[in-house]
Amino acid sequence: MSDTRRQKREGRWLAVGLYGYLALVMFVPLVVIALWAFYDPAVGWYPPDIVPTSYSVEPWREVLADRGIIGSLVLSLIISTTVTFLTGALAFPTAWALAHFPFRIKRAVEVFVLAPMIVPGIVVAVSLGEIFFRLGLTQTVLGVILVQTVGTLPLMIRILTATLEGIPGELMLAARTLGASPRRALMRIALPMAWPGFLAGGLLSFISSFEDFEKTFMVGAPGVQPLSVRLWSYLGGEILIFPTAAVVTFILLAPTLIIFFIAERLMKENVLAAGMGKL
Amino acid sequence: MTAITEDHTRRAMAKRDQWARNRTILLLLLPGAGYLLFFFGLPLLRTVVGSFTSLDGAFTFDLWVELFNEPVYIDGLFFSLWLAIAPTVVALVISVLLAALLQATFPGRRIFGALYRIPLVVPGIVAAFLIMVMLDRGGMLSRIAEPLGIDLPRMVRDEWGIGAILASTWKNIPFMTLIIGGAMSAINRDVLHAARTLGAGRLTVLVRIQLPLALPGISAAVLLTFISSLGSYAIPNLLGPAYPLPLSVHMYEQGFRRGNWPIVYAMGTLLSVAAIFVLLAYYSLIGRLTGSHARRGSRS
Repeated sequence: MSDTRRQKREGRWLAVGLYGYLALVMFVPLVVIALWAFYDPAVGWYPPDIVPTSYSVEPWREVLADRGIIGSLVLSLIISTTVTFLTGALAFPTAWALAHFPFRIKRAVEVFVLAPMIVPGIVVAVSLGEIFFRLGLTQTVLGVILVQTVGTLPLMIRILTATLEGIPGELMLAARTLGASPRRALMRIALPMAWPGFLAGGLLSFISSFEDFEKTFMVGAPGVQPLSVRLWSYLGGEILIFPTAAVVTFILLAPTLIIFFIAERLMKENVLAAGMGKL
Repeated sequence: MTAITEDHTRRAMAKRDQWARNRTILLLLLPGAGYLLFFFGLPLLRTVVGSFTSLDGAFTFDLWVELFNEPVYIDGLFFSLWLAIAPTVVALVISVLLAALLQATFPGRRIFGALYRIPLVVPGIVAAFLIMVMLDRGGMLSRIAEPLGIDLPRMVRDEWGIGAILASTWKNIPFMTLIIGGAMSAINRDVLHAARTLGAGRLTVLVRIQLPLALPGISAAVLLTFISSLGSYAIPNLLGPAYPLPLSVHMYEQGFRRGNWPIVYAMGTLLSVAAIFVLLAYYSLIGRLTGSHARRGSRS
């Protein structure tokens, strides 16, 4: 009895400590960014003021009046959606082969599929940037989609392979024996059963495409400006524009976090840990 | 006679089946693996070959000689390694603690489990921006410290890259915690209970049981964090000092600004080799771990 009470008390202290940590590293910085997004440019916000003396929605009005931001948001959504579907379509057959056919070069293919996670992204981004330049694909949406897919494909293949390995091969065989055509067996058995994998991998692909900066920047800038590249232009230039950057940060984070929490709810616990815990 | 022909036909059919199967496998692999071959393998090959090719197309070591004789690049290599190792170490310490604490039950555990993962999906630029508003001169921390008479050291664009290290650490903690926590929760509870019953303290259990058993997950997390920090561009560019610059920033500057591609290829190859070296170290560690388990298993 006293043991459980002690456990409860310890749990409470643990919660206090962990939430304190969370507040320090997560909420305080986000609140400061929120303050920058709502400060009053007419009054300013200078040290030593801890909080602005006056608030306004002026930064938001400024950003939203600039047509480019909405365009960037739409462009980001279009690119990420396309990348997600392309990744799923490309990954499925490969994952199917890896999951169901034992073949000699299987381990080699697995390692190769993993390789884009091992080689630093900047190497491929810079090199592809140069190749795409020769092909006339730099500063095109197509080029950005192609380079981002290199980043999303490995995780999708891993997650789909893990999901498909869970589907017994006999199931497909049974469907075939009962007279289903290969296509019908695929559509009615394999794809529906692989759905959790598609969902998890798809959401992660979407997020990773939406937040990608480096590959997109090397191949697409300055012609193609999704949100992340636009944010860069407010922070990486000669002058820092904090309020604008703060507003764009929220526009960028909002869809990401919404999708992320949907994914958290839908995904089985630790899909990522299962996918990446062993290389 | 008939038996022989039957055997022959069966073998021929088996062969044809085998061939058809191989063709199917190849066709299935083509979209995914083929895509990576074309858009990942090819640029990588070009990078490696390019680092050994002179302007007139002959084989040469000149680029490597240039790379290792130029202090700017040597300093860049060490700075790249520093910006990869330091965040990995700091994030590892925090993640192991977090992962161990998250094994316990406490009020609000589910919500904490969701919230602490937010940095997982926050872009590096935003992480850099957070560090700027918090730690830069005139940032929140200095506004709080100044009235108290505390003079904070420079933490953004400083020569040690503290801001860049903190940003990478911040971004990688959830990822590491997730993987290490996954490895820890796979440990049989009875083992932990047995150790506790036999009088081991919490710290002893963590150091002697949880850490060794979670080592495969820990090393995978270390590997991936190291590599993602090694090649990061946005964070050191926004938060790092003007000198030294990490190789990733040099690659962009030399390539896209100056068109000096051969040296870019040499730097790219160097970064890839560093990453692959760490991967091999990981595989040998895992091999030794599973090998010793297998040996121990067979002995008993």
